[in-house]
Amino acid sequence: MTNFTNRTDNSERILDQLEAGLPVGELPASLYGSKEIYEREKRNVFGRCWVFLAHESEIPAKGDYVLRKVGEDNFVVVRDEQGEINVLFDACRHRGVQICRADSGNTSHFRCPYHGWTYDTKGNLIGAPLWKNAFGGMDKSSNGLAGAAKVGSKHGLIFATLDPTAPSLDDYLGGMGWYLDLVFGLNEHGVEVLGAPQRFVIDANWKSGADNFSGDDYHLGTLHKSVWEIGAFPVSFQDNMMGYHIQASPGHSLSFSMAPNDDEPGPKFFGYPERVAETFTSERISEDQLNVARRSRVFVGNVFPNFSILALPMTEDGANFPPTAVLTIRTWQPVSEGKVEIWNWFCAYKNMTEEEKQRSYRAGLGTFSMGGSFEMDDTEPWITVARTGRSTAAEVLDFKLNYQMGMPGIGIGHPVDDWAGPGKAFWTRYEEGVQRNLFKFYLGMMKAEPGQWPALTFDED
Amino acid sequence: MSTQESVVNLRAEIKEWLFREAELLDDGLERTWLEDMVSRDIVYQLPLRQTVERARGAGWVEGTFHLDERYGSLNSRVARNESAYAWAEDPPSRIRHFVTNVRPVANDDGTVSVRSNLLIYRTRQDNVVPQLLSGERHDVLRREDGVLRLLERRILLDMTAIGTHNLSIFF
Ligand code: FES
Ligand SMILES: [Fe+2]
Repeated sequence: MTNFTNRTDNSERILDQLEAGLPVGELPASLYGSKEIYEREKRNVFGRCWVFLAHESEIPAKGDYVLRKVGEDNFVVVRDEQGEINVLFDACRHRGVQICRADSGNTSHFRCPYHGWTYDTKGNLIGAPLWKNAFGGMDKSSNGLAGAAKVGSKHGLIFATLDPTAPSLDDYLGGMGWYLDLVFGLNEHGVEVLGAPQRFVIDANWKSGADNFSGDDYHLGTLHKSVWEIGAFPVSFQDNMMGYHIQASPGHSLSFSMAPNDDEPGPKFFGYPERVAETFTSERISEDQLNVARRSRVFVGNVFPNFSILALPMTEDGANFPPTAVLTIRTWQPVSEGKVEIWNWFCAYKNMTEEEKQRSYRAGLGTFSMGGSFEMDDTEPWITVARTGRSTAAEVLDFKLNYQMGMPGIGIGHPVDDWAGPGKAFWTRYEEGVQRNLFKFYLGMMKAEPGQWPALTFDED
Repeated sequence: MSTQESVVNLRAEIKEWLFREAELLDDGLERTWLEDMVSRDIVYQLPLRQTVERARGAGWVEGTFHLDERYGSLNSRVARNESAYAWAEDPPSRIRHFVTNVRPVANDDGTVSVRSNLLIYRTRQDNVVPQLLSGERHDVLRREDGVLRLLERRILLDMTAIGTHNLSIFF
């Protein structure tokens, strides 16, 4: 039975249970609903980790900006006059008023609506009304907007961290970089987003999305059974369970659907049209990366903490259109322990024709979007994961969730040692090590002291 | 028939049509709705909206959507909801369409453009706080063999982030 004497430090108790449970594949259900855990996540996870904010193609011109979130807080992602991308805390230096009141736009400056302090697109304070009378003699340079501690970008994906002690983006991504390359770097053109992101808010915990996209392929057979009935996805459930689960580096996990043999018929390169696939070369990536991409029917992965990627062949209308590659990127933006805002972008390779982009976009909308045949079912169980997570019963009963699939002696998933890429690889997707990897790094972040970082490679581990 | 009369008649006919449609959707008779009331040439869209400065308009983002359906994809959605594994709507949501401010205009080509206000009230399981979706619909109806059918629908919601757990419902 639970010891209730120390109610003030409930998060510590839950994290201790997580630490004890991970090696045996048992996670405390309260992780998905405890308020104390959530409060700690805001500082230890979202206040420190590299998080995804935007794609460069959303702000192509000087002065273009979008308003985004780090944890619960607003940041302006803006391209300045020099073409550099800045990530600025949306709070005026004077009294903290919001300075950016639109979701996107183009501007040469941001003017605070309260007293009129005005900042340029680098965040420098450039003036205020009746400056001499009000502030003559005061230093402008130390009164600019606060910025993220570090900003980085990879294949046009813009990330930022609020923690000056954070490792570089490349070191943070570690082995995951290799896999991002083979999704986003297949030709010299790269990808662009197809329009602004969808946003929808549901009563679930943000970790359900991260957990699912780390490689929960097994749920397709039950939750998504309807998509086969309507012919939305071309690979049978059983076949689709063949492939690799990869722990790319601590925290970052992914999963490939792949045929056992190279020459098996079926979708290649996530289902990109042949004309597009012909432009995929090893110019920007290695031969090994290209081969892995060629064999892949599906890629799904999560960059810790809350940035997920999915590439796969889908159709919104199986009777009239063959499946084609859909590439969606999304964030699971925390709102509270029981609410998440899902941001969903669709991407396409820039050298696709308008028609190919439209086809991919419509297939995406009809499957992996809030009105899509796949995704509309996902939110339903996640809502009750959060309900279980915040329940008194889960706490009183010490209720544990089972994360044992693919552990030694359990199921057919097993480690392989001839995998071409970085990280730990497992054959067949009947495996939950990908999610244990997510939670192991999560535990490290949640327990780390300020300035300390858990191991970023399996070698230091 | 005077112009006045024909306007009154048209308004009555279109209201009747919209109310029947709402009834079918509220009753879960999606197949009947699709087959009896929707044109094979339907374009059914729920565009994406952002908060933007007044000078940039109402925030509709050109070419981006939450839903962008044609007859075939609507048919897929209806078929999905009929399958035994459509968890999102089994047990079904309780949905009520409130349709008001109906403003039809007869077009020269014989079609009818109609704007109406829509409020959808949705509850799942034992929710006591409903999900509310408010917006305006811009429809075009066309007579096909004497039967009015939905040819175009644009659903303009009054929100940027959508506060419902999915769009398995029809607007
Ligand atoms: S709060 Fe911004 S100018 Fe005063
Ligand atoms: Fe799913």
